[in-house]
Amino acid sequence: MRARIQPGRCHSLVLGAVGCLFWASGAARAEDASAWRDIETKYIFGFTTGSGIGLEGEKEFTVDSFGRFGKRDGHYAATETKYEFEFTPNQFIQIEFGALGSTHNIGGVTDLDDRSQVALSGAFAEFRYLAIERTSSNPLAVTLAVEPTVRRIDETSGERVWNFELETVINADLELVKNRLFAGFNLLYEPEVTQNAIGYTQREAKFGGSAALSLRIAPNVVVGGEVWYLRHYDNAGLSAFTGDAVLLGPTLYIQFTPKMFMTAAWNTQVWGREVDNPVSLNLSEFQRNRVKLKFAYEF
Amino acid sequence: MHAVPSVMRRVTLAAVCAIALAPLSPSQAQQPTEVRLTYSKGQFQPSEVNAPADKPVTIRVKNLDAKAMEFESKSLRVEKVVAANSEGVINVRALKPGRYEFYDDFNEKARGALTVQ
Repeated sequence: MRARIQPGRCHSLVLGAVGCLFWASGAARAEDASAWRDIETKYIFGFTTGSGIGLEGEKEFTVDSFGRFGKRDGHYAATETKYEFEFTPNQFIQIEFGALGSTHNIGGVTDLDDRSQVALSGAFAEFRYLAIERTSSNPLAVTLAVEPTVRRIDETSGERVWNFELETVINADLELVKNRLFAGFNLLYEPEVTQNAIGYTQREAKFGGSAALSLRIAPNVVVGGEVWYLRHYDNAGLSAFTGDAVLLGPTLYIQFTPKMFMTAAWNTQVWGREVDNPVSLNLSEFQRNRVKLKFAYEF
Repeated sequence: MHAVPSVMRRVTLAAVCAIALAPLSPSQAQQPTEVRLTYSKGQFQPSEVNAPADKPVTIRVKNLDAKAMEFESKSLRVEKVVAANSEGVINVRALKPGRYEFYDDFNEKARGALTVQ
C-alpha cells in the first residue's frame, strides 16, 4: 500500500537545497576558515542534533519551539515550546530540564476534535553523554542522549491525557572540512504510552534516523539541509508497523554574540505511506510540515 | 495511574548509571600535568603550550590585565572567567593527541593552543 512519491516536488526541493549549498560554499571559500574559532555542533543541523555537549561550567537558557502544520483535511496547527535550562557539570555530560507549553488550532480534521487552546502541557529532562570526542586527528564525535517527558496535553490532538515518552537518540557528527563543513546523523527510538480521559491506554513508538549537511559560510552563520526517515509503530517493541515518512528541508544557525544564538529549520514531508490506506503521504502519524525555531542565551 | 513499560524503565536506569559512572574513569585519578599561562595586554604568554597525552591537565591562567578575561575552548570543553589581576585554575580531562585551541571569549584577538602528544 505504498503512496506514490511526488517526483516533481521532491526533485525541486533537493535541487534547490543543493543549489543553495553550492552558492553558499562559493561565498564561503572567499574567507579563510582557519582563523575562525571552533564551533559548537549541537544546534547547527536543524531537527538533527549534533554531538556537542557545551563547556564545563556553562549554563544556558533556551526557548525552543516546534510547530507542526497540515493534516489530510481541515486546518491543523500545533506547537510545543520547551522553556529549557541546560548545564554541563563536567567534560562528558550535559543535563537539560524544563517545562513544555503547547498551542493547538484544529478545525475539520478527520479523527481530531476541533480545538483552539494554549496550555502548559508538561515537563522534560534530558541527559547527554559524550561517548566519542572529536580531536584534531579524529573528525567523528558521538553523543548518547535520553529524554524522558511527561505531558498532560496530547501533542497531536491537544486533548487532556497522561503521556510518558522516552526519546533515546544517538547524535553523531563529522567535521568534513576543518571549521567549515559538517555532516550530522541521528538515530532515534522513541517509545511512549498515553492514557486519555476515559482510561483508554495506547502504546506507540517512533523509530528512524536523519542525515544532515551544514556549511559554515561565515564565522557566525551556518546553512544546510537535512533529511529524516521516520517509522511509526502501535507498540514499543517495533512489531506493529503503521506507517512511515520522509521529511526534507533547509536549516539555519546564526550566532548573534558569543553568548547568544538562534537556530531555525523547516521540514516538509516529501514521501509517506500509511498501512492499509492507499493515499499519498502519511498525514495520520506525521504532519505535512514542521518548523523549529530556537533562541538560546548562555551565561 | 500509569505503568511506564518496563523496557522504558530499564533504558532510563541504564542511562542514569552510565552517566553517573562516566566521570569515574581511571585516567582522572592520575596526577595532572600543570600548564602555566599568563594573560597580559590582551595576549596569552606563551600562546603555544604542550602536554603529554592520556594524562589530565591543570591549566593555571594568571590574568595580569586590569579587566576580566574568559578562558574558553570548545575542544577542551571548558570555560572560566578570570578576574583582573588574579589566577584561574582549569582542570581538563586526560587528552588524546592533538591540537586544542583556546581563546579569551571577551577578546577576539587573544588565542593560543595546547598541543598534546
